[in-house]
Amino acid sequence: MPDISLTVNGATRTGSPEARKTLADFLRDDLSLTGTHLGCEHGVCGACTVILDGRAVRSCLMLAVQAAGSDVTTIEGLGPDGEMGDLQQAMWDSHSFQCGFCTPGMVMQAAAFLSAHPDADEQQIREALSGNICRCTGYQSIVDGVLLAAERIRER
Amino acid sequence: MKLSPVDYEAPGTVAEALDLLAEHQDDASVLAGGQSLIPLLALRLAQPAVLIDINGVAGLSGVSVTDGWVTIGATTREYVAEESATIAESVPLLAAALPLIGHEAIRSRGTVGGSLAHADPAAELPAVARALNAEFVVRGPSGERVVPAAEWFEGYLTTSRGPDELLTEVRFLAARPGTGTSFQEVARRHGDFAMVGLATSVTLNVGTITDARLAFAGVSDVPARATAAEELLEGERPTAELFDEAARVAAADIDPPSDLHGSAEYRKKVAAALVRRGLREAVGNAMRGSD
Amino acid sequence: MTAIAAERYTGASIKRSEDPRILTGAGRYVDDIKLPGMLHAAFVRSPMAHARVLSVDVSAARELPGVVAAYTGAELEAMTVPGPDALMALMGWQGPTPEFTLLATDKVRFAGDPVAIVIAESRYLAEDGCELVAVDYDDLPPVVNAAFALDPASPPLFANLGNNIASPQTRHEFGDVAATFAGADRVYDFHVDVHRHQNVPMEGRACVASYDAGTGAMTVYAATQSVHVSKVAVAMRLGMEQDKVRVLAGDIGGSFGLKIGASREELAAAAASRDLGRPVKWVEDRGENLTTSGQAREESFDVRAAVSKDGGLLGLDVKMVIDTGAYPGMGAMVPSIVEAMFPGPYRMTALGFESTAAITCKATYVAYRGPWASETFVRERIIDLIAKDLGLDPFEMRLHNAAVITDPPAVMVTGRPLVGVTTKESLERIAQLVDFPAFRRRQAEGRERGVYLGIGVATFIEAAPGPREPGEPSGPMSLETMRLRLEEDGIVVLFTGQMPHGQSHQTTLAQIAADEFGVPFEQVRVVVGDSDVVPFGLTGGSRSATMTGGVALHGARQLKARVIDVASHLMEASSQDLEITDGQVFVRGDPASGIPVGEVARRAASGEFGAEVDASLEIVATFDGGEGGWSGGSHCAIVEVDAETGIVKVERYVVTEDCGALINPAVVEGQIRGGVAQGIGAVLLERSAYDEDGNCQSATFMDYLLPTACDVPRIEIEHLETVPLDADVNFRGVGEGGMIVAPPTLVNAIEDALSPFGARIYEQHLPPARILELIAEADTIV
Repeated sequence: MPDISLTVNGATRTGSPEARKTLADFLRDDLSLTGTHLGCEHGVCGACTVILDGRAVRSCLMLAVQAAGSDVTTIEGLGPDGEMGDLQQAMWDSHSFQCGFCTPGMVMQAAAFLSAHPDADEQQIREALSGNICRCTGYQSIVDGVLLAAERIRER
Repeated sequence: MKLSPVDYEAPGTVAEALDLLAEHQDDASVLAGGQSLIPLLALRLAQPAVLIDINGVAGLSGVSVTDGWVTIGATTREYVAEESATIAESVPLLAAALPLIGHEAIRSRGTVGGSLAHADPAAELPAVARALNAEFVVRGPSGERVVPAAEWFEGYLTTSRGPDELLTEVRFLAARPGTGTSFQEVARRHGDFAMVGLATSVTLNVGTITDARLAFAGVSDVPARATAAEELLEGERPTAELFDEAARVAAADIDPPSDLHGSAEYRKKVAAALVRRGLREAVGNAMRGSD
Repeated sequence: MTAIAAERYTGASIKRSEDPRILTGAGRYVDDIKLPGMLHAAFVRSPMAHARVLSVDVSAARELPGVVAAYTGAELEAMTVPGPDALMALMGWQGPTPEFTLLATDKVRFAGDPVAIVIAESRYLAEDGCELVAVDYDDLPPVVNAAFALDPASPPLFANLGNNIASPQTRHEFGDVAATFAGADRVYDFHVDVHRHQNVPMEGRACVASYDAGTGAMTVYAATQSVHVSKVAVAMRLGMEQDKVRVLAGDIGGSFGLKIGASREELAAAAASRDLGRPVKWVEDRGENLTTSGQAREESFDVRAAVSKDGGLLGLDVKMVIDTGAYPGMGAMVPSIVEAMFPGPYRMTALGFESTAAITCKATYVAYRGPWASETFVRERIIDLIAKDLGLDPFEMRLHNAAVITDPPAVMVTGRPLVGVTTKESLERIAQLVDFPAFRRRQAEGRERGVYLGIGVATFIEAAPGPREPGEPSGPMSLETMRLRLEEDGIVVLFTGQMPHGQSHQTTLAQIAADEFGVPFEQVRVVVGDSDVVPFGLTGGSRSATMTGGVALHGARQLKARVIDVASHLMEASSQDLEITDGQVFVRGDPASGIPVGEVARRAASGEFGAEVDASLEIVATFDGGEGGWSGGSHCAIVEVDAETGIVKVERYVVTEDCGALINPAVVEGQIRGGVAQGIGAVLLERSAYDEDGNCQSATFMDYLLPTACDVPRIEIEHLETVPLDADVNFRGVGEGGMIVAPPTLVNAIEDALSPFGARIYEQHLPPARILELIAEADTIV
């Protein structure tokens, strides 16, 4: 088991995961970053989404060893100093979530999308989030949160 | 749903990768994007002894043009291909299909070569490759060989890549003037695999179809060219009646599977509808010169 | 009407106190729990739908490094006590009781039936160990559908039952069924099917069972809708004293009825923990969740309708068959609720109802959001069908038959009074929000271009919890208990047996208590999820808005009176002159007089008051629901059907709902939208599918499809003015309604879209292939 080193939420983290251990399990178990959730472990539900080298990725579809040398952001590191950032605040204001299980992946996917498409309209946001399953909300409140965040960021 | 124990190698060069493949042959799986392979491993439907991770192999990714051929390195990420101006301009059918592959996060890691080597007949890229007669460059112990798309897809999830070979690049001929393309698909939801998909490329010359390519996804164990429909179209002027006839012929020619998502009968009907829609769009693009 | 003391928070979309942790990854779900020495469980599961188990050999698994233990079904039998399913016991099931072991021993009864449990240092190793367990099966013919289950020739799944009937056929009649049908202008016969689909919360079943060998105490960290029901289930099955079992629950990733009591797997994990003296975690993966956790809704109905020629729905005669899967669960109890609810908000005067519950080789039928929902589906579907046959507008037919508010209220033929039911108002409001004539013009114009639009309406009521029935026996669900305490730091703490899993109780209950008691919202804390600490409760049945909202209101009122009484001694003022506002006790009219409530609590605790002053600032309040009424509403959907591909798009969806007084509008709307999304999923995407050998074909998210952000439109919601029925508590539940009425709304719209083809729809699942079949099967009307 090779040692790996990667940057997670701005800090250098190391570990010696088995080759077969997914990045999702490495984050949760080895680094105790349990914010990233497992919803299906076969790459469909999006609950495990993190940002790796600037792109949203499904951490259940990567081996931890593949992330060596990468720069990873999880839900715990999205806001500044563990506080809520603009997107999270807007989602709080919009009652975006209920049970919270899809939330980390949904937020990370939305964050990655918004940073690349700050002027996206509702349809584009829905398409961007269509790979993240939520069973509680029917999505409208989530989309509203993203739209609100985009508007506030633009106004800044 | 955890992966079985597996050994892991991360070669840095093609030569190293080939040495590993020569050593392990069918006991190894090549790991590129992992978006198709890792779910299989997690479900324990595949239990290779070794994973050969080629993400770190030098020189395997990138998009370039040489002598009218657009070359895409096997480990080029799908999102990179999606953002490529070269592909948008020179291989518009590929550009149309790429955004339909799964979701953004899948395309962050998935690779063009990986999708084509995995060869899921319901996937978008195999149908595009088949429609455009793409060429597959494979390296092995005896050197390099070039496999035309017609020979690349051999069966369900099976290509002509030998167990000791590595797909290094895929080449697409740049679209000729007067060519219009369309990628159509009917999926249960946005981003899902197509129940039926169709890659269409039509070239018009003074209002006559001089070249027509139609390749289906999801109707066979490999991407399937609708050759009878293509022959019907070539040399003709595009009309709605011609498209209807081509649709009828194409649907009659396929023997699609039945599964949870659709019966064979359903897939035939949808295939016909996609031929009509694909031809309308492709011909429209050709006439506008907008591709 | 006394109403709530202050309306500063109640009725407003107060931001959730749950969200800061949810949004920053600081939620604590079961799989986030790590205990010292914790082990991980995985199950060996039968690939056969029906087979005798000849042998189970776990020896190779035990040898694998990292595997700590493996237990067969037989070994677990020796470690546990047989007993009924906890939810069935809670609901008072009296019918046939199949005999079976915790894990399969002599036979397996559905594909996925657990046969052995492997405990290892990681889930990875546990799954490796499972692959090494050798099981010898002897194939038996599978019972793959209810029709075969009801055939006496089908091999009984449970030897002690002798057949595959979970509940024998019973027939009840309400009103004069024979006379009603004899006197009807028309009698219709329909057969309607609802397909099997399931809860699919984003978090599956999960627990960490932690047995302390030193104290003999079992702590279970659970994902559950009731820590007490789970506790009883664990204690009974493990043969432990209840006070030796503690169930803790933190954040829960949804449930929709799935996570009640303790599943066989959770009990096995607990038994293993006790044997090993170490914590054992079991988190089901998505494959297990889809194939083994439980499924619902698979019911078929033969319905006769007695109708007058002007569209009066006079009576119904219903034969229901429900496919309850293999192991017992809620399924056998669903028909009685369906029967009670079948008349809906309509004036019909006769109902005949009989039902049979069939045992099949499938996952257990579990409670799923509105388990009785089929009554609304069938009734709202046949109203459309009857209306079309009579040449009537289905919308008008609903209005014609709806019970209106009268005094005394109309009574459902099955017994419950339709107090305050605003069906007529909700339908009329739909007609104001949706321009039906304009739609019909657009529809006609679209048809000329080969664009098929359709509109559908359905209406429903749900007992959330509904009016109390006189003479109804009381049970643990008919009284809600809450403990309230004022702490010395001024925090008002509510201890409730509610177990939120997305319902936002920690916010909504605090809103009510803050308003009633007189403290800022931030000064109320809601404690849930500890069976040692909270009173009995269960989150389910859409009851918490009334029952728990009500006990919070009354409890806060009682606590406030106690605090004012103590303060009156402190402040030398009469209780009548004191009020609590913004966390301080004031002499009314003297803003300078304020004492923080925490100070009152500190003084009360200090012992300075003699025995004649009740200085205990902790009370236990109960609430029986008051004059609780129905929730209900009407939904309208506009769809577009692509007649070449069968793809359906929901273009517009409108809801008019009446859940009485709203505690938190954003929470109410979220519940409705989530329910409608599940309805869209049921009709267009979701099916728990089995092949003819009993193999589950929907075992991954590639085959069991959930609706996404591209499948669910904006859902417009109007809240109706309520009919206040109670002096204080007019909050009514809304959790299940969306999922109950959305399916018929959508199917009605799809049938309307396909009316040029003459399609008639008698089923709920309409994937694209089925849409094209319906078009092809029907005669084309020119």
